Amino acid sequence: MPLLSVRSLCVQYQTAQGTVRAVDDVSFELEAGETVGLVGESGCGKSTLGKAIMRLVPSSDGRIVLDGRDITSMSSGQLKSLRKNMQMIFQDPYGSLNPRHDVGTIIGQPLSVAGWSRRDIRDRVAELIRQVGLPADAERRYPHEFSGGQRQRVGIARALALRPKVIICDEPVSALDVSVRAQVINLLQDLQQQTGVSFLFISHDLSVVEHISDRLIVMYLGRIVESGSGEEIWRQPAHPYTLALLAAAPIADPRLARGRAKQVLQGELPSPLDPPQGCSFHERCPMARERCGKERPVLRKVSGSRMVACHYDLLEQPAELPRAVSAAS
Amino acid sequence: MLRLGIDFVRRFARNRAALIGLLLVIVVIGVALAAPWLFPRNPLRIVGRPEIWPFVNSRYPLGTDSLGRDIAAMIAYGARTTLLIGLCASVTATLIGITVGATAAYFGGWVDEMLMRFTELFQTVPNLIFVLTIVSILGQKIEYVTIAVGIVTWTPIARLTRAEFMALRDREFVQACRAMGMGNLRIMLGEILPNALPPVIVLSSLVIAGAVLFESAVSFLGLGDPNVSSWGRLIGDGRTLIRTSWYICAVPGLAIMVTVLALNLVGDGLNDALNPKLRDR
Repeated sequence: MPLLSVRSLCVQYQTAQGTVRAVDDVSFELEAGETVGLVGESGCGKSTLGKAIMRLVPSSDGRIVLDGRDITSMSSGQLKSLRKNMQMIFQDPYGSLNPRHDVGTIIGQPLSVAGWSRRDIRDRVAELIRQVGLPADAERRYPHEFSGGQRQRVGIARALALRPKVIICDEPVSALDVSVRAQVINLLQDLQQQTGVSFLFISHDLSVVEHISDRLIVMYLGRIVESGSGEEIWRQPAHPYTLALLAAAPIADPRLARGRAKQVLQGELPSPLDPPQGCSFHERCPMARERCGKERPVLRKVSGSRMVACHYDLLEQPAELPRAVSAAS
Repeated sequence: MLRLGIDFVRRFARNRAALIGLLLVIVVIGVALAAPWLFPRNPLRIVGRPEIWPFVNSRYPLGTDSLGRDIAAMIAYGARTTLLIGLCASVTATLIGITVGATAAYFGGWVDEMLMRFTELFQTVPNLIFVLTIVSILGQKIEYVTIAVGIVTWTPIARLTRAEFMALRDREFVQACRAMGMGNLRIMLGEILPNALPPVIVLSSLVIAGAVLFESAVSFLGLGDPNVSSWGRLIGDGRTLIRTSWYICAVPGLAIMVTVLALNLVGDGLNDALNPKLRDR
């Protein structure tokens, strides 16, 4: 049984212009000790999905099952005892820590909410500060005295405090300097090895997700367009959108980068208020045909754990690859 | 926390006017506290000949009023009334304002709608008339004047608190608290309020000054507590003699002016010290 199972989850917002389906019929599973990367461009609903799983935003349909218990319709009182199984790391290391509390208080907060004794909290906080590599005197200092990377370590320590089974990482490194990113990602990987925690790692940056993920989920406009093992997707993307994302990721070697023909996506993410008919990607898709504008493709299994939502996926029809792609490989 | 405290004092002290204001407020507080020692007997007692001008008789340095009561004693005791009413009314207004504003912003939706319409209802009634109505219904006692002023002045505090809470409600540190299952009350009081408080404190300090003026107005109109000395009442009593013995009105008038000015200066200083980012605009 998977640790976390999300079934046909939908999140809708009512706005003055109409209903926005921020997350539309999303299903996936997360096993114990596994890292699933969730990628997609800004506004595709990946953060909303993370928050809906945390029950920070209400879902309108579907089910979230954590450790065998359906948490979708639990009251906040019932949820409280299950919160210790699932925690979240936030994107903005400046906004996610209360500037009025010292670091010890911030890290100890989940413990105090869970009703730990003061002495136990103090011991656990000291342990966590060591575990995430913060200086020992950090406990008495305030968030503004730390750098972005160190603050994110505070956020990680807070998420780890209750020894959760799942941590949802909502773009944990996208606000950090490139030099600090690797440190934080390594820290997350080390912590996973030590504690066996599962990560749902949300990011818009494929190169970040590549390092840490066992499996990958690609979202576009609130829906999953492709999922599968990270290695497979990285080697041979099946959905044209994934291909475009991969092509947009920077390459370290400038000579290789120069030789690669860039396939830059045209246009903007369509308005979620008025999603296109048929495949939501067809307006920007370089391989779109007539059928794509009429019929919405369903997410179907192509091989093993590989799922893709495309009428003409790239695995089936390698001959259809445009020149840009053959130049890239 | 200590370091933040030192910072606060330094920033406050950088504003000269605020320091002068603070000094004046301290003097007024000192006079109010020392009144029973300076003037051990009832200030409303008739002590001498009526209408002695100030600086004429050294026993009555500020002169006597139309009934022969010592103006200096009435000013000193009046400072107690005025400050007490100002402070209590401000605390009342702040408590009501924060409760309403925080609840409205935090829960949003129909709670917000309802509480804001309720706030507007209070805003549309002319303040002074509202105070007079409440006092005339409840009775002429100092507690009721305080409550009346508090009820009338909480609306701007509620609006400000609401705006601050709105900005902070969706911040990630609040979401983190919700993710760990923290209760709403604890999030509101322990997490959001400390961050929302600085501008609210500034406004509350200005409400004190406003309350002093309200109290004076109520007393001037003769609706204040008849058993306590008050600056506004002294002005009201002296107004019939304004053409001959104008000092009876002028002395308490000056006291009100200086106190309100000082309180405003302190409020400005608090603003500088608590919201340092806004100062240099």
